Amino acid sequence: MRRDQGSQLRTLLREFRQVRFGMVGAALFVVFLLIVACEPFLLSYGEVNSRWRDMLYWADGPRYALPVWVNWFTGKDYAVSQVLEPEGLSESQVGTMRIVSMDFPYAFQAGRPPKDLVLKMTITGRVTYSLLVERPDGRSMTYQKSTTSTGAQELRISIDQNLRERVFQMMASADDPAVAATKNPKQIDAVPILFGEAKPGVLTNPEVVQGTYHLRLQVALASDEARVDKAELIVAGGVSGLLGTDGQKRDLWSGLIAGTKWALIIGLLTSLISVIVGVIYGVTSGYFGGWVDALMNRVFEVAVNIPLLPILIVLSAVFKPSIWLMIALMCLFFWTGPVKTVRSIALQIKENTYIEAAHGLGASHRRILFRHMLPQLVPYAFASMALAVPGAITYEASVSLIGLGDATVVTWGQILFDAFSSGAVLQGIWWWIVPPGLAIAFMGMTFAFMGFAMDTILNPRLKTR
Amino acid sequence: MEKERVLEVKDLELHYFTRKGVVKAVDKLSFFLRRGETLGVVGESGCGKTTMGTALLKMPTPPGRIVGGEIRVDGQDILKLSENEVRRRVRWENVAMVFQGAMNCLTPVYTIRKQMRETLLQHREMPKPEIERRMKQYLNLVGLPDDVLSRYPHELSGGMKQRVVIAMALFLEPKVVICDEPTTALDVVVQAQIINLLKDLKAELGLSFIFITHDLSIEAEVSDRILVMYAGRIAELGTNDQIYGPQGPAHPYTQRLLAATPRLHEEVAELAFIPGTPPDLVDPPTGCRFHPRCAVVMERCSRDDIMLREIEPDHLVACWRCFHD
Amino acid sequence: MTEPILTVENLTKWFPVKRSLRQVLRGERTWVRAVDGVSFSVNKGEIFGLVGESGCGKTTTGKLIMKLLEITDGKLTVKGRDATHVRGSALAEHRRDVQMIFQDPYSSMNPRFTIRDVLMEPLEIHKVGKSESERDAWVREILQEVKLSPPDEFLVRHPHMLSGGQRQRAATARTLMLNPSIIVADEPVSMIDLSTRAEILYMMKQLQREMGLTYIYVTHDLSTARYFVDRLAVMYLGRIIEMGRGGTVIDEALHPYTKALIGAVCEPVAGRVNQDKDVPIKGEIPAATNIPPGCRFHPRCLYAVRECWEEEEPTLVDVGGGHFVACRRYDEIRRLGPAARTSEASLGVRRKNASA
Repeated sequence: MRRDQGSQLRTLLREFRQVRFGMVGAALFVVFLLIVACEPFLLSYGEVNSRWRDMLYWADGPRYALPVWVNWFTGKDYAVSQVLEPEGLSESQVGTMRIVSMDFPYAFQAGRPPKDLVLKMTITGRVTYSLLVERPDGRSMTYQKSTTSTGAQELRISIDQNLRERVFQMMASADDPAVAATKNPKQIDAVPILFGEAKPGVLTNPEVVQGTYHLRLQVALASDEARVDKAELIVAGGVSGLLGTDGQKRDLWSGLIAGTKWALIIGLLTSLISVIVGVIYGVTSGYFGGWVDALMNRVFEVAVNIPLLPILIVLSAVFKPSIWLMIALMCLFFWTGPVKTVRSIALQIKENTYIEAAHGLGASHRRILFRHMLPQLVPYAFASMALAVPGAITYEASVSLIGLGDATVVTWGQILFDAFSSGAVLQGIWWWIVPPGLAIAFMGMTFAFMGFAMDTILNPRLKTR
Repeated sequence: MEKERVLEVKDLELHYFTRKGVVKAVDKLSFFLRRGETLGVVGESGCGKTTMGTALLKMPTPPGRIVGGEIRVDGQDILKLSENEVRRRVRWENVAMVFQGAMNCLTPVYTIRKQMRETLLQHREMPKPEIERRMKQYLNLVGLPDDVLSRYPHELSGGMKQRVVIAMALFLEPKVVICDEPTTALDVVVQAQIINLLKDLKAELGLSFIFITHDLSIEAEVSDRILVMYAGRIAELGTNDQIYGPQGPAHPYTQRLLAATPRLHEEVAELAFIPGTPPDLVDPPTGCRFHPRCAVVMERCSRDDIMLREIEPDHLVACWRCFHD
Repeated sequence: MTEPILTVENLTKWFPVKRSLRQVLRGERTWVRAVDGVSFSVNKGEIFGLVGESGCGKTTTGKLIMKLLEITDGKLTVKGRDATHVRGSALAEHRRDVQMIFQDPYSSMNPRFTIRDVLMEPLEIHKVGKSESERDAWVREILQEVKLSPPDEFLVRHPHMLSGGQRQRAATARTLMLNPSIIVADEPVSMIDLSTRAEILYMMKQLQREMGLTYIYVTHDLSTARYFVDRLAVMYLGRIIEMGRGGTVIDEALHPYTKALIGAVCEPVAGRVNQDKDVPIKGEIPAATNIPPGCRFHPRCLYAVRECWEEEEPTLVDVGGGHFVACRRYDEIRRLGPAARTSEASLGVRRKNASA
């Protein structure tokens, strides 16, 4: 029998290849598998899996940055997010102090200013540092600060009030003094003004000047142990990464890639288990009929009507929320999905003469169920699996909301859910919604196509057409 | 004097355009139907008899298309008429059809009155009392009482439903009624009743019938002339006496079909049968289409195309044996 | 060869009708009396025909013999063993002994199965054959037996790729897989083209001779029954009303119902087209929930007299030569012919009574 089943499988595969949309489905499935396999190479933020919810990890990126390819269609409009390494690193001795100087030349070519400039470094010991900003038109400003606090230091032009003031001082002379008088130097939107053209209106409605901006940093180290490390300039641009960033500055591309494996796991496992259980339940109920059917129907109705949420809350109090627990719970409620339809199909199938013929041959109930009836339900099972996959993915997302979500993983549903809860739809942050939505749709389509293909193959009568 | 011909078919061709190729389901069929006559059409399943029936109403089942020929109803070629004209003037008005299994197509949720009225109103505008009168008249004509009108299909037996369907076909006083296997799903007793009914209608109303069935024994009871179809063509066309009479049919196919039909009052050791299956009409055999199954096949049968020829008055045969001399 | 291989005594099958709430409250029950006391016995190697119109209980009788339905009452004996209520291994043995060919060759085989799967199934169920190759050889042999050759070509096909006749051959092959002694053939040729009908019946007859099979041939078609069967039982509303040698029952029918059935049969002979068929019967079959009192045929009988509905139902009586009839007036009818009729209604005057 083994050999026989092997050849059956081969026939099935050969026939599968002849169904075009089945191949499309299979191709999509392979793509998803490849994405999972190549995940380490595809991620632009390597720690996305463990630090998706870590605000600090994402702090430097731009908020709501568009995908970089938007520039291809808008003519280099948005500044690209990037991290600049220091150039011209040099150290000199001035008296007792060592002075480390470096330059961050930023070649700004975009039509709109970046969202922020963040200067980051790690400091040890007592240091004084000064930042000299030189614009392409020759205007410049300096900013100085002493500190003894060891650890990460960062200067954010958009937030730091002193820096704002300096930017104001540098640019105010270009604008109408009457306008300048109305402005509070500490409250200006510093970044666009920094990149603005020196002419009247720069304070209110700046127009960008393209060119190379130099940010020269000099760090005076007052003691021998004092050091400065890991200095870098982060340009938080209007576009970032393949898919942009979300409201929490997270890189959506990395999130999406990291979510693929969970989507597959959640979708496949939940739909597989629940469809298997549901189909067997439905077919048993339909086949036996009578009081078995009545009893199974009542059990089904109870299962359908149990409110899921309270149970989930109680369970989350008892167990530590994990993705596996969630899958188990979803199975517990998803299995009811195919039952009614399967039961009605089973009622039809069992009226066929060949079921009666099998009885006449002495076939057991088990044999009739598994040899004659279940194979006919495979296409339907695949179809309902395909339907259950997106359901399971989004359900997982909404379950995350009540604290049951597994905070240690990234899922498409969670991305989508975050998007909805921060009003991405109203704000038009399409790149936060469309990619995960499409990903879920494609995942569903993959299974739907494969399901339909199975249907054409397993329903030989359709082939005669 | 010969009776007038109500229906005349010339070189009718109907092809099904399928993925496998063109199925020539009806291939150059020519025959006519006289007023007050029943023409029986017999053949194995798949020989094109039902297809031919639907073609006469100019409503072939897709992917079938009438690709040539003439269908003259009262002298007018309906294939030249527009669909609209056919619907208004020919279909159901002049040529009606009782489809196979039509009695199971009565809508279970409406009364017979409603269903009959719908049919009538689609073709004629009539005041209500007139409709009612007419419905009763036709029900009585097929042997049903008036109260059938207010009943639902499930309350009627199979025979009664078949009578209702026949009444609906007669409603618009057509000249020709095509009956496709009107008795196959019925029990013998009911079948006999329906056969008697059709005979009476023919006698009383002067109707012409085309009676399609696979059963030669039924044709013997109802048809004045019998058209034997094989693989989309006419094998033999003759009167009841010529086919069933002592000399027997002329075409080997008809002969064997008749021999395969069991007789109730005759003790036979073995029934005859026709080995093999009807040919695939995508790629029919050359020459005579029956030659691969024929027991008296000659050399030229597979070579030369055979045309229908008259061997005696009213008796046409397409067989080389019959013209063999 | 007169040892009976199968005997049914007073075989009865009543189906309960779904009740309305009112009927449940009143404790009323209605039954469809599908088979209502049928007795006959079939000898080894015999072909026994069960003939009747739809709803007469002939198929139900076949299914009761097959044990596809629970027997309500009566006794079923196969090969001398009581098989009325067998279960477990005795039932499995019964299944091997008694097989069935179903009417509709289009739905009697799982469309997903290949012919090989179809034929293997009985062997798998009953764990016949030591090895796969032994089973395979057996499948091929049986396919040859039913003239589906070359077997290799048919083994891989699905039922929908076969013609009606080939399908019925495959269905026959399936019944033969377990070497049964009795085959219930339920209208095996009614859905097959006339031209191949005889071929199938011929094959079945050959198999019967070669393998010593016993057939129970269930049909509504008297003409094929005449050719096919040794003995014949005519059923009406769940009862046998006439039984005997096939030719005898048809040529010398005694029961008015049998006469009507025979009158209704069409025959391929000349000279019938200009005369109405005389079918001596009136009305339509009553529902099996409401079987008329007395002789169950009396409301439709043209020969019925008062005793027919006032007195007890007549039972089968032997009129000689193994010819049984259940009619009170059979002798008068035989002697007087149509003169014994008490009612003028006949189908010659069809219009007036079709709806009665």
